[in-house]
Amino acid sequence: MIARKTFGEVWLMTLVYALMMVILQVPIILLWPELYDDLKKSALLRNAGFDFLQRIGTGVTDRQEEVAYRNWIALMLFLRSVNLLGIAASVLLGTALFARERETQTLEFLLTRPVSRGAVLWQKSWPVVLCVVVPIFAVNTSAILWSRLIEMDLPLLPLTLANLHGSLFVLAILSFTTFVSVNCRVQAHVAFWVGGIVVLQLGIYLIPRLRGYSLFRLSDFDWYGPILAGNIDLAQMFVPWLGPAHSLWLLLAIALFYGLSWRSLRNLEL
Amino acid sequence: MTEALAIELQGVQKRFGRVPVLRGIDLRVQRGEFLGLVGPNGAGKSTLLRILIGLYRRTEGRCRVFSLDPDHDALTIRARTSYLPGETSVYQQMTGESFLRFAQSFHRGRDREVEQRLVELFALPLEARVRSYSAGMKQKLAILAALSVEADLYVLDEPDRALDATMRMEVREVLRDLHRAGKTLLLSSHHLEELQALTTRLAFLRGGAIIAASEIDEARATLRRRFRLRLSRDVALPTGAVCHRRESDGTMVLEVDGPPAAFLQALPADAVASAELGSARLEDLYELLFLKSPSTTEGALS
Repeated sequence: MIARKTFGEVWLMTLVYALMMVILQVPIILLWPELYDDLKKSALLRNAGFDFLQRIGTGVTDRQEEVAYRNWIALMLFLRSVNLLGIAASVLLGTALFARERETQTLEFLLTRPVSRGAVLWQKSWPVVLCVVVPIFAVNTSAILWSRLIEMDLPLLPLTLANLHGSLFVLAILSFTTFVSVNCRVQAHVAFWVGGIVVLQLGIYLIPRLRGYSLFRLSDFDWYGPILAGNIDLAQMFVPWLGPAHSLWLLLAIALFYGLSWRSLRNLEL
Repeated sequence: MTEALAIELQGVQKRFGRVPVLRGIDLRVQRGEFLGLVGPNGAGKSTLLRILIGLYRRTEGRCRVFSLDPDHDALTIRARTSYLPGETSVYQQMTGESFLRFAQSFHRGRDREVEQRLVELFALPLEARVRSYSAGMKQKLAILAALSVEADLYVLDEPDRALDATMRMEVREVLRDLHRAGKTLLLSSHHLEELQALTTRLAFLRGGAIIAASEIDEARATLRRRFRLRLSRDVALPTGAVCHRRESDGTMVLEVDGPPAAFLQALPADAVASAELGSARLEDLYELLFLKSPSTTEGALS
């Protein structure tokens, strides 16, 4: 019942979130042939002062159009849409999970029912996880079909691995937001802390010599590009001695913040 | 603890940080008893109820509800308990009907008779969203949800808040019927006369402790009481007595301060033809107990 109630609260936001992903996706695919020509003519990105911008510029203007197209997808569907919309959805949905219940004084009602606090956390979390993850997989996978309209090939397996990694990244943000939501009395405070940390991380990411310390390094072009190119497989995503294992760290972060959320909720006295 | 006890508290203390809220509560509630919890704001009533339901962990002391420890067996206790929080807890985005079903879904069953009765009484637009309800309607919905489930123990934190007098009387009847059906009820309220009319026993909470029965008896003895007194001859009334009216047969209706026995002893024995003592008002007792400086006396009210 709690899960059903949670789903009832978030489905509309999820629909809007998925719709926004579609709106941001379709034009950048259908306009690719023209955009590719334009990008090849422009030397702006390739000559940019920052190495990561140069790599993006080189990647999306590769002489082999198929390679360039996959880099374009990595840039637009993952670096932009997943990071932008996925994080926004995670923060918006996660903020409301507990802090709103505390604000509206319904958390006391929920925590005094014959349901364990672990079950309350789980039944409130999994519908939101689905609402965040399903649009990423569904919308991004539909890019295969849209790509066929412009006679470009987008292989399913690398795209699925990129979706998996993108989902883990936004779920890490969601689990952190949930943890903050359990510990804050009002939604505005959750938004302040999570928003502040995300903006700070983004700011660090944009400082060339410091960007290695930003969490956004775990979800940027340098990571999605090789996955979509087929140069990183599932094992390299999760096994540290086989590859960078960025996905593993995200998985551990999700588990850590879920565990901390559970501990905070268990000890919570309203 | 015997099976006859629904609740047993021994030396229960609760501190929030360094702030003590409960200072050693001793209380025993029999199964089928209707206990009223009285006290000013901040006395610790809600904290006590929240400890019983397992929402708060006590700092010290022993607490048992149906022989179970709320710190370890809260789910089993809650499965047998219906709890109405002190703050109105209803989901604004739900309809009244869906909130009611949601609340009932956690319990072993619905009490359809009580539900039907309260639905008719409250006349709530259950098909409308709760956000369109007034404060009083939301409280009615919360009461409806709390009383329409099958439970052995009903813990109600100020259920009559935001209800008008008529509704309070109707809710009182429902509570009385639940009590008659053998349910145990624990009710905190500021409406003293209703508590007095409903409950089988009252516990007075002050400064996080239950006021001892001896102190209450002592206070009760000093309350202003109403007498109906008929004298066989004219005598001067002792100080502290005020005559309100004299009836045709010579009976005087008096207000008397202090212990009634002392007043009667102050009159010549041969002058008293008859004396009828009225009961003390709970409001007066409340005023006397809670306007005094806080006592450190602790103990159960018997």
